[in-house]
Amino acid sequence: MKALRAGLISAGVALAALTAANAEAQDGHVTWHDDGSVDLIMEDGAVIKTSQEELGSLFGPGEKPFEGTTITVLTLDSGPRGGISGPIFSFRPIWEELSGGKLEIALTPITDLYAKMMLDLRQGTGLYDGIIVGAFFYGDLVAGDYMLPIEEFMESGEHPQWTYDSMPDSLKTLHTWGDTGYGVLNDADGQVLYYRRDVLNDPEHQAAFKAEKGYDMPVPPKTWQQLLDISQYFDGKNWDANDDEPDSGTVLHLKVGEQGHYHFQSLSASFAMTPGEAVTQYHNVYWFDPTNMTPLIDSPGHVAALEFLQELHKTGPEAQVGWSLGEAWDYFLRGKSVFVFSWGDVGSLCQDESRSKIKGICGSALMPSSDKYWDHENGAWVETDDPQPVGNTTGGSWHGVISAFSENPDAAYSFLSLMAIKPSSNWGAYHGWTGVDPGYYYQFLEPLGEAKIEDYVAAGWHADDVAEYTQAYYDNFTAPTILTYLRIEGAPEYWDIMDKNLSAAMSDQKTAAEALSDTAATWEEITDRLGRDKILKQYQEAIGYGG
Amino acid sequence: MIRWTKPVKFVFLLPAVFWVLAFTVFPLGYSLYISFHDVDRKVVVTGREKVPVLNEAGEPVLKKSGEPRTKTVVHRELQTNFTWNGFASFIRAFGDEEVGSAVKVTAIFVFTAVTLEIVLGFLLAFLFHRYIFGRAVLRTIMILPIFATPIAVGYLFFTVFYEIGGPLEFMGIPWLSQPDWALVSVIIVDIWQWTPFCFLVFLAALQSIPDDLVECARLDSGSAWDLWRIVVIPMMQPVIIIVLLLRLAEAVKLFDIIATLTKGGPGIATQSYSYLAFTRGFKLNDFGYASAMAYLLLIVVMIVVTLFFRRLRQTYA
Repeated sequence: MKALRAGLISAGVALAALTAANAEAQDGHVTWHDDGSVDLIMEDGAVIKTSQEELGSLFGPGEKPFEGTTITVLTLDSGPRGGISGPIFSFRPIWEELSGGKLEIALTPITDLYAKMMLDLRQGTGLYDGIIVGAFFYGDLVAGDYMLPIEEFMESGEHPQWTYDSMPDSLKTLHTWGDTGYGVLNDADGQVLYYRRDVLNDPEHQAAFKAEKGYDMPVPPKTWQQLLDISQYFDGKNWDANDDEPDSGTVLHLKVGEQGHYHFQSLSASFAMTPGEAVTQYHNVYWFDPTNMTPLIDSPGHVAALEFLQELHKTGPEAQVGWSLGEAWDYFLRGKSVFVFSWGDVGSLCQDESRSKIKGICGSALMPSSDKYWDHENGAWVETDDPQPVGNTTGGSWHGVISAFSENPDAAYSFLSLMAIKPSSNWGAYHGWTGVDPGYYYQFLEPLGEAKIEDYVAAGWHADDVAEYTQAYYDNFTAPTILTYLRIEGAPEYWDIMDKNLSAAMSDQKTAAEALSDTAATWEEITDRLGRDKILKQYQEAIGYGG
Repeated sequence: MIRWTKPVKFVFLLPAVFWVLAFTVFPLGYSLYISFHDVDRKVVVTGREKVPVLNEAGEPVLKKSGEPRTKTVVHRELQTNFTWNGFASFIRAFGDEEVGSAVKVTAIFVFTAVTLEIVLGFLLAFLFHRYIFGRAVLRTIMILPIFATPIAVGYLFFTVFYEIGGPLEFMGIPWLSQPDWALVSVIIVDIWQWTPFCFLVFLAALQSIPDDLVECARLDSGSAWDLWRIVVIPMMQPVIIIVLLLRLAEAVKLFDIIATLTKGGPGIATQSYSYLAFTRGFKLNDFGYASAMAYLLLIVVMIVVTLFFRRLRQTYA
């Protein structure tokens, strides 16, 4: 009997120990090592390796610096495994374990994010401690003094360590206003060209292209005009072995109310911007005349670019007028088009074999340039045999800022900066589903940056795709001329009407000139309504115009 | 028997009065007010103060460094500036190209969709009024679309109208990428969802016509057309007017299908009036203008409804 009782007790103790061990295994998202290294364990089992030093002085074994604190982060809603919102879900249990705090995630459709954010900020309710914003919200955020500067948090050494120095200037600009930093590193948006490396390098197609167009097919194309020729050559031919259907040249995502207008921005920059040493009334400007806010959107350069985009659209499926990002990307990933120009997500999604049939043959390059551009100063076209690259930061570069109404700004910063440390940022950039795109120096390959091909290969990339991809993004973000970013109050309204008119042009309801002329007219009304002097001042500050 | 005194009766009415004031009168009044004003209402931070975080015993919680943990108290001030702008928002609406287009889209949609729904609903009701095999089951299936959420219906038809790989691809119709077809697609979705409602009400009305009346009419008149013209249609007229009224009131508010299926595009080819008002207000924070737009719609709908009710009263008279 005694032996039985002892046995039962032993079994009970063993069961309790086993249960405790299981609980630890299930709940444990952070492992502290004696050598100072720390493993952050994601819910899918992936391990992000960091160090106690990188995590800042507040976090440590047994420390719960934000115990009893609840913070709320507002973000666009792509779900727990979707772009931008997905990583927040992934890092939540890690931060909660590190901090002892609680993170609430407030989700809203991307189309409602601006309104929901502004409603909270204008009412001063302070529902959200951190907000994941697009850089085009900055005009409103700065004008209302709705964001907290983050330098104090960065310099305290208490929080996870990252720096603006890892950003090219083109991206740093989007996270700061003047000399003040507001945005916490996360996503780096910019569009590059993706192409089918195998198809464009096929000798048979090369020869046939030369016979048809009269010149060697450049791989990748350097000018938009070359890209159109190549796109026209491949459109309607069944050049891909994945199915028996004819394939396309270039696929675009053109649905109104979504992100179709970004295509136009990226493409038109090299048609419509006059390059120069500095930002002047005529040079390096795209949206407005920086002396009086007269719209430039209907300039001959912009009109020619839109006419070009209409031509390019004819080399893709007609249905793309109603397509969002996902449909267009999938079309390219299924091997149905030679080209797509879009964000960094495409490069990493090429590596996801559950969606992609083109892993290892997914080429990337800096966006082509136009072989002619509009000279705003002289009012004439300039033709060039050596078109200069024009980079872009098109998109939102979605990143966190701290609400001025937050009662727990340090906790909010703590969470956002956890996602901003180098290994977290790399984890996001390597995995397409996260929506977090690369653009920081440590993500470019040596010697331009710190990364190695093996880093990407270890994350599941095909080695052949890595070098071009990272080079394309390096070239894009460090290009001598960069498409200026619209950061003024009411930017979503300016873009809303542009988006509708562009869509009308792409669906043949308006000519390119009509669409852009109508856009310019509405922009004048918006500027007058919001206050021309106020908007002009913001615009000048945002683009660094010194007069 | 309890005899309520007058004051007690009013006490029981208070919740209903409160409800109407709070959720009907106040929003209507406030939106009318802001439609005549430029609203600059915002809360600004006037100061931030760090205060120590206290534990349950009321003692400061310390950091690893020994310093007290703090939280921030935000001091704020409401700054409100309502500037009377008269009829500026209303005048702006009359000159707005988008409003003009939205009115046109809405009018085409309402006229086409509601007409077809009523005609189809009537024909189906007539069909089901006779005996057909499996009538009960078919009738149940017929009315299922009414219960679907419009947002879900929008997404459902987004997959149906998907032009490459969708079930209707074989038709070769640019359902969502060509402006005219996109509007047709929206109309089809609405007809799919709301014809069953018309059918259901018309069927009930048909079945409520007394059999002996029909029999008498049949004996008096040899033609089926006369039977319909003299008995059935007049008997159903009030119901038809009510259905028409309900569908009109609902159709002019077209929003959900647009939001999920086309987002108003391509261009603004399917942007309905309600969708435009919503985007102005809730996407672009232009609440004064959105309110003015909403009131203009309300005025038009009230005129239409009044005309219909007048007709209804004449019918009953």
